[in-house]
Amino acid sequence: MNTLIKPLHISLISLVLFLSASLAFANDEPSPEIPEGVVKLTKVDPARNVGYLMGDILDRTITLEVKKPYKLIETTLPIVGYEHRYQGQVSGIELRKISHTKKYSNTSTVYVVQLSYQVFATAPTVKPALLPAEIVKFQGPSTSEARDGLVQYRIPEFYFRSSPMAVFGAVKIEDDMSPLRQPILLQAYPVKQKLVACLIILGFSLLGLLYILGVRAWLPLMGKPFAKAVRQTRKLSPKDADALKTALSSMHQAFNTSAQYSVFSDNITEFIAQNPSFKTIEAEMHQFFALSHQVFFETHNASTDEATSLNWVKKFSTQCRDCERGLKPAKQKKA
Amino acid sequence: MSDNQLTDMRQHAQSLETEINKVVVGQQTPIRLITTAIFSRGHVLLEGDVGVGKTTLLRAFTRCIGGGYQRVEGTIDLMPNDLVYHTYLGEDGKPHVSPGPLLMSGESLSVFFFNEINRARPQVHSLLLRVMAERTLSAFNKEYQFPNMQVFADRNQLEKEETFEIPAAARDRFMMEIPIVVPDESAIMESLVFDTKYHNVDTLVNTLQANILQFDQLNGFSALLQDKIEASPTLRQYALNLWRATKTPSAFGVKVNGVDMNRLVLSGSSPRGMSMMLAAARVNAWLNNRSSVLPEDIHAVFHSTVAHRLAFSPVYEMRRTEIARELLSGIVNAVAAP
Repeated sequence: MNTLIKPLHISLISLVLFLSASLAFANDEPSPEIPEGVVKLTKVDPARNVGYLMGDILDRTITLEVKKPYKLIETTLPIVGYEHRYQGQVSGIELRKISHTKKYSNTSTVYVVQLSYQVFATAPTVKPALLPAEIVKFQGPSTSEARDGLVQYRIPEFYFRSSPMAVFGAVKIEDDMSPLRQPILLQAYPVKQKLVACLIILGFSLLGLLYILGVRAWLPLMGKPFAKAVRQTRKLSPKDADALKTALSSMHQAFNTSAQYSVFSDNITEFIAQNPSFKTIEAEMHQFFALSHQVFFETHNASTDEATSLNWVKKFSTQCRDCERGLKPAKQKKA
Repeated sequence: MSDNQLTDMRQHAQSLETEINKVVVGQQTPIRLITTAIFSRGHVLLEGDVGVGKTTLLRAFTRCIGGGYQRVEGTIDLMPNDLVYHTYLGEDGKPHVSPGPLLMSGESLSVFFFNEINRARPQVHSLLLRVMAERTLSAFNKEYQFPNMQVFADRNQLEKEETFEIPAAARDRFMMEIPIVVPDESAIMESLVFDTKYHNVDTLVNTLQANILQFDQLNGFSALLQDKIEASPTLRQYALNLWRATKTPSAFGVKVNGVDMNRLVLSGSSPRGMSMMLAAARVNAWLNNRSSVLPEDIHAVFHSTVAHRLAFSPVYEMRRTEIARELLSGIVNAVAAP
């Protein structure tokens, strides 16, 4: 039994080896070009084509949209570490990394191939270089040109120029003024960072200036006399001692500051002439001074409902603030 | 009782003003101020050009408040005794002595008008000031009392020759200095010129209702009024600030155009001046039917009770009226209450 099996094993192994060798030979052999219109190529090449030094990495993204029934033979993709040769010489461009994805649809398959090449070439001058064209093969239907159905597609090369790595003093730059050399650019990122930081500081400074100009209020309008008075009176509660007097004093101060002279009931007309927006609350102004007289100057004053009066003064201060801002104030009932 | 008295007397005061305004037109403010002076029992300096109606005004007031009215003209040769008596040879050929303007009306002297007081010599000023302050006079070995007398004096502002400026101490005795200005309303000016009723002062004054007030009751009523009209602590503080501002206006940020404020005021208002101001403010409050003084009452009398008391550096004296007006307006604008 063993003697019978042994020659069969040898025959099978020989057949497998033959078939493998035939297939490998078939892969290396040029195949007919893939019919036109079957492959749609989209490529993303490096942004610049000059100024690459030894060690730099260049990335390419190749997108192949292949119509069905053609399929990419993935073993025909370039392999990592392959040293490309150009006219028999090592070009110094080596494939460092490759990956690919595929996505099927009803009519086509999209292959996205990420290629990452590294430059290992250098020279004392700028040299032309290229990312090599890559030939990939597809399995398609059998045709008269390709009986086995194998066809190939050529991914075009990308031309660029590698720059020399110069040691200080080794190269006299005046002798190497190639018109192809790109000007050496400053690194903009740190400068941009500083610019952004300065702009932020400037922004905060302007906000601070705005705050100061607004007499330490958040907005300039909030720093005006009646806006201040509104903030002061708003905090007051009828439970506070002398809340009404404090509110009235705040309003008197606002009137005086706004007019730049002491405003009394006998010069309201003058004040309104200078601040016409207050004309709409003239009656309320007279009422305010009457209340002030009652609180501050009448020694035998009738009992004042402090809570009601304080509430009225708060509303009056809002009316004055509106007038100060050129707005039409809301009318309020008498205290 | 006293509240009713205040109310009744206010009605009389309003009647008085109404009557005076009938014969002296366009002078509502001076009439209000003189009424205030009458009820606060203060003497008054009248400031104004000749022929603007000062005498008519005073005669009208005299008729309405009753009592005696005397007038004397200030001249450079006027001597103190001319106010007290004058001598003459009688029909009997013997020398006689008659009472002068001060003594003529006795205790019923109500209004004593000294026209062009700055034409009289300082000796005359001296006598007058004593009478103003004490309302008494010693003559013929006897003490004469003038309890109801109010002095009204007029200064000749136009001429400087042969005049004797009233010293600051003398000006301080007057409660008020009231400007009498010709009204600039065309209708009033026309009636003053063309309306014949204004041509004869005697006839004009006789049309007024006499004795609306009783001159001999004014002192008592004034004391009652001053007692009843009150000043709150806030008002007192305000008055004190005004007083301080008259002394050091620059400390209150008061500025007068073209004046070095640090050199302007030699002395501000006196304590007497401020008390007179507050007395006048009380009367103003009462006339406006209030029981307490307001800052507005002080404003109403501030210029007339304070301006003439301020002593300025000599370099600014020539512009006194203008500077005082601007200074006091600045003080009222600078001092706040409360």
